[in-house]
Amino acid sequence: MKAISAAVKSVYILMPAAIVMAFLWAPPAQVLGDSSRIMYFHVPIAWVSILAFIVSGIASILFLADRKGSFARLDGIAYNSAEIGLVFTVLTVITGSIWARISWGVFWNWDPRETSIVIILLIYIAYFSIQGAMAHNDNRGRIGSAYLILAMITLPFFAFLVPRIYPSLHPDPIINADRTIFLDDRMRSTLAVAIVSFTVFYCYILHIMNRMMKLQNHIEENRHEAD
Amino acid sequence: MGKDILRNLRKDFLVEFRSRFALNVSASFAAIVTIAISLTAGGVPFPANVQAIILWIIIFFSAMNGLSHIFVREEDQGTALFLRTAVDVDSVFVSKFIFNQAFMAVILAVVTPLYLFFLQVRVVHAAHFIFSIAAGGFSMAAATTILAAMVAKAGGKGSLFTIISFPILLPVLWISVSSTSAALNAAPPAGGSLLFLLAFSGFISVISFLLFRFIWLED
Amino acid sequence: MSTAPYSLTGEGLAKKFGRSALFKGICLSAATGESLSITGPNGSGKSTLMKILAGIQKPTAGNVDLVSGSSIEKTQWLSHIGYTGPLVNPYDELTGLENIAFAARPADAGEQAGRLLETFGLGPHRDKKVKHYSSGMKQRLKLILAFLNDPPVLMLDEPGMNLDSAGTALLHSYLESVRKEKIIIIATNDPLEEQLCGRTIKLG
Repeated sequence: MKAISAAVKSVYILMPAAIVMAFLWAPPAQVLGDSSRIMYFHVPIAWVSILAFIVSGIASILFLADRKGSFARLDGIAYNSAEIGLVFTVLTVITGSIWARISWGVFWNWDPRETSIVIILLIYIAYFSIQGAMAHNDNRGRIGSAYLILAMITLPFFAFLVPRIYPSLHPDPIINADRTIFLDDRMRSTLAVAIVSFTVFYCYILHIMNRMMKLQNHIEENRHEAD
Repeated sequence: MGKDILRNLRKDFLVEFRSRFALNVSASFAAIVTIAISLTAGGVPFPANVQAIILWIIIFFSAMNGLSHIFVREEDQGTALFLRTAVDVDSVFVSKFIFNQAFMAVILAVVTPLYLFFLQVRVVHAAHFIFSIAAGGFSMAAATTILAAMVAKAGGKGSLFTIISFPILLPVLWISVSSTSAALNAAPPAGGSLLFLLAFSGFISVISFLLFRFIWLED
Repeated sequence: MSTAPYSLTGEGLAKKFGRSALFKGICLSAATGESLSITGPNGSGKSTLMKILAGIQKPTAGNVDLVSGSSIEKTQWLSHIGYTGPLVNPYDELTGLENIAFAARPADAGEQAGRLLETFGLGPHRDKKVKHYSSGMKQRLKLILAFLNDPPVLMLDEPGMNLDSAGTALLHSYLESVRKEKIIIIATNDPLEEQLCGRTIKLG
């Protein structure tokens, strides 16, 4: 635990480094110029959205599999990760829209990636609706976990489906943003640092949230110990 | 287990037949929306893909009105614990699943002809049309059985069922619309969509079966 | 259902809901021919303990075991237990007989059903929908549903609730008649019912 606490504090170095690199060190892109710098935020934020979702899903699976309750509050960890995931998903949509506007002139395109992220957003909304509806219900952990697992499992069907459907309903997006921006070495390393920074940032926040949750549980359970 | 499934099915059919509440709500909803759209459209038929979209929107919301009933009723009327003690968990799931499929079939049987009639839909490929409706409906009922159980345990109020069903049913809706739309167009439709729906149904049915005990059995 | 004697044992049972502890350190045991009553004020956890003993809920700590020859797997317990309580309600839209047909497991339950209906005086009401039953009649039906499959273990949560004196007498005489072949566990606040049983566990 102490090692994790120390490791995640590295975010205090990594994040400022990433920001400086993104705005000052990396050169402007060929076509988009300085506007391309949003890439150094959008890509890591999108990555963290997915990561948070996966962590929630795995925590949910472990929670249901853990019949004896030997691992504390896995459902709480899933919930915390989902909270972070929700925020990052919204940020992904926002930064993505800005980038889309810069690159293609429209804020929203319903291309496969955009569609997938909206689906994840809808799943989060559903998950938190369940959690909210069961606020005082002890079964909340199990039912929320089961829903997240169910939803997570339907995603591959989407991933398979979306590229097939799109040719028929919409014209192909002319530019696929990631492949047409040429990344030189400095840009590539900035992006790498940004991705690592945001990942550590996610771990840091999750770690703090989990510790808070543990403390809150401890206080509640031993409320009268001092009496 | 087969006997237990039949036992529960017989009971559910009897209870639902005698009260008929959920079916009435769903069927009324479908009829009202269809008639409203037809009336306000002023007699001009929509293009094929719009017809497909509207049909599936009506089916979706009719389903949302009724498919949670089979579990929510048990909680509301206080019979959930009785059911829990009388029938084992797997049989409960299978019997409720079958019931929801029957319920969906009835909704489709009511909605589809009504729709075809009022919105002057020209079905070019009849077999493909029927299979699209059937496969889409089957997938919807398959996915929502466990969701109905979740909503029932969560208090079953308001639009929670619709909110949690939507992300999961989105692939189904999408493919059903495209498949139905193809059946209304002149070009011969591909069978890929139907395969997709069947694969999805099979998959989600199995996963739901495995996850159901975590919803139904208390801690 | 085996013919070997049954034994139910609970050790160190505790239950917490969220943050509040309902009970802890409950130990009990009962074998075929023995009976147990669970008493305590409202909210002390009688129903919860019953659910734990029936395998419907998991205890926060401790364990409970049902043995007949060998240990029975918890998912199978309910086929050996006749369970009823205030929250176990029959279907209002079905008649008494239809509810019984629903709950009946073995093939010969039909005969048993007929006898129980007569014993508890619901014979003339068997074809009426339960929503037209009085609360006393409903309670008698609930008891019939618990006794129906002749289970070796009876767990009755407040079995005398809503019963008039005739109904209560019928309940007591039925329990007397089957006492030697079953484990009987009753959760109650009624001192008369408490006396029906051998030992008492006090909660709260």
